[in-house]
Amino acid sequence: MTNKAMLSKFVILVVLAMTVGFLSTFIGMQQNQALAISIFLCSVMGTLFFWEFRLSFAFLGTSLLLLFKTIDLKNVIEFASLEIILFLVGMMILIGLLKESGFFAWLVTLLIRRKNLTGRQFVFSICFISSLLACAVDEVTSIIFMVAAILEICDYFEVDPIPFILTSILATNIGSAGTVLGNPIGILIATKSGLTFEDFILKAFPLMIVCIIALIGIILIFYRRQIKELDQKMKESADNEIFIKLISIPPEKRLRISLGIFGVTLLFIALHHRFEIILGLENNTILLIMPLISAALVMIWQWRKAREYVEKDVDWWTLLFFMMLFVQAGTLRYTGATDVFAARLVNWAGNNPFALVTSTLWISAIGSSILDNVVLVAGFIPVIQGFKDFGFSLPALWWALLFGGCLGGNITIIGSTANIVALGILEKEGLKKISFLRWFKIGLIVGVVTTSMVWLGLTVLPYYK
Amino acid sequence: MAVKDILVKKVITLSPEMSAGEALQKLLEKEISGLPVVDTNNKLVGMFTEKSILRAILPSYVEKVGHFVYDADSKKLAEKVQRLSQIKVRDIMRKEVVTAGLETPLYEVARIMLIQKIRRVPVVDKDNIVLGIIARQDVLRALVKNKELGND
Repeated sequence: MTNKAMLSKFVILVVLAMTVGFLSTFIGMQQNQALAISIFLCSVMGTLFFWEFRLSFAFLGTSLLLLFKTIDLKNVIEFASLEIILFLVGMMILIGLLKESGFFAWLVTLLIRRKNLTGRQFVFSICFISSLLACAVDEVTSIIFMVAAILEICDYFEVDPIPFILTSILATNIGSAGTVLGNPIGILIATKSGLTFEDFILKAFPLMIVCIIALIGIILIFYRRQIKELDQKMKESADNEIFIKLISIPPEKRLRISLGIFGVTLLFIALHHRFEIILGLENNTILLIMPLISAALVMIWQWRKAREYVEKDVDWWTLLFFMMLFVQAGTLRYTGATDVFAARLVNWAGNNPFALVTSTLWISAIGSSILDNVVLVAGFIPVIQGFKDFGFSLPALWWALLFGGCLGGNITIIGSTANIVALGILEKEGLKKISFLRWFKIGLIVGVVTTSMVWLGLTVLPYYK
Repeated sequence: MAVKDILVKKVITLSPEMSAGEALQKLLEKEISGLPVVDTNNKLVGMFTEKSILRAILPSYVEKVGHFVYDADSKKLAEKVQRLSQIKVRDIMRKEVVTAGLETPLYEVARIMLIQKIRRVPVVDKDNIVLGIIARQDVLRALVKNKELGND
């Protein structure tokens, strides 16, 4: 992009954001609310059109909010949600250790290793491993390993890896809704809604599995030709010594210890609410300190590398962006802008919980097919909090937001970070580029089918009311 | 002492349009770890190094996945080595190049080499025309020689 083109894009962006802010005064927004909306929109559009500059945009936006007294320092610090950032820092350090210990390669190969593997079984494995791995770590780390593994395996059998990689990406996005850990929006929703990890396991996880089963059905039909081709190639080289060797690595001692630390961390995270009750702690205390304790142990054990873990494995760029974004979304609530929006939505939905859940789910699904889902969810959370004032404090609304934010990512090629990371690898590997349309064909089917299933579940089943 | 005192003016350069395979042959032949890439006006456009080649033939995700499984005789790796003759130097060369000028002090060149982890620094004029190249060895040799002269 030339400097001139960039400048004009920048001017359009600022003018557009200001215009929306200005127009919002006509639906009853006050001046400070309009400013908060404009600045939040700048950040949103910044992530869309100026990916490389998004942190600069976020810094400037938050500074402007302070400069114009739209928010005060005390609230900036509160809305920055240090608890979420620290949680993510701890998890990133832990995952850095796992990565280095060869955990992922071992896990992936362990699960794919099976004698007489068939094409169908391979699809099942891809779908379940992708989704479960996304649940246990996070979608971005998970997809890098899945793509790498699928490329190696398809290369071995000399089949086109694209259908299987697309399958894995779709499963990863669905899987990321299964637990608090799968996606940054999971921890964001958990801390803001008061829902626990157990709630996620009881409510979100089963819905996620249902979506994965639907995905497998769609994939088996959509890619039947490619699966058959793989199946034949697999039969030809069944019991091939080299393949068995290629996909099996015994876990080393270091890996066993790392595995132990990760397992214990997951256990405590999963049961955090029970421990908090037993120990008389504030909600989410264990959830948030567990990654910190584990990271601390890792940094004591590997003290020579401690600095490296913190500097290299923690994605400070993204975390700082999150903090600024949370402040800007918080300002929407602080100024009352989202309350105005919530009131409008409640008014429009005619005080009907069914309509509210429906619109939350579909708006967030469609929205996150274009926007970064963290941006969307951060903006949407204060709206849902605003619903409370009208007597709607439905857990189903949070699930709608979570699933909308994750499943929407499947619809378009730019819908989620996992898509972008995976496609980046394919491009660097010199594989044929996946066109927007090729993705959209399968992405739309999967996105609409899975979102519809979640919609049915949330609105019909009494379990979610 | 500055760059101009020890500059090696006879410098082998590569063209961006040359095949990467051919360029690699040249590196191996001359036993050199990297060469500057210049356009038809002798203007510096990049550096082609052993690292550029390794990066081109290994999977792009090796840095991200930590330990991984490799086939002892990876077909993909062999294929990528073969493909080197089809890709151009411009496709895999390092485009952001740190350079020095004739007046740059030797200590500054040494600092650049240490901080940027590079072995050779191209020397250019203000229009980015390549005047020569300085290797780590040249710098060290000059520093030692300088000290000996001082002792005399």
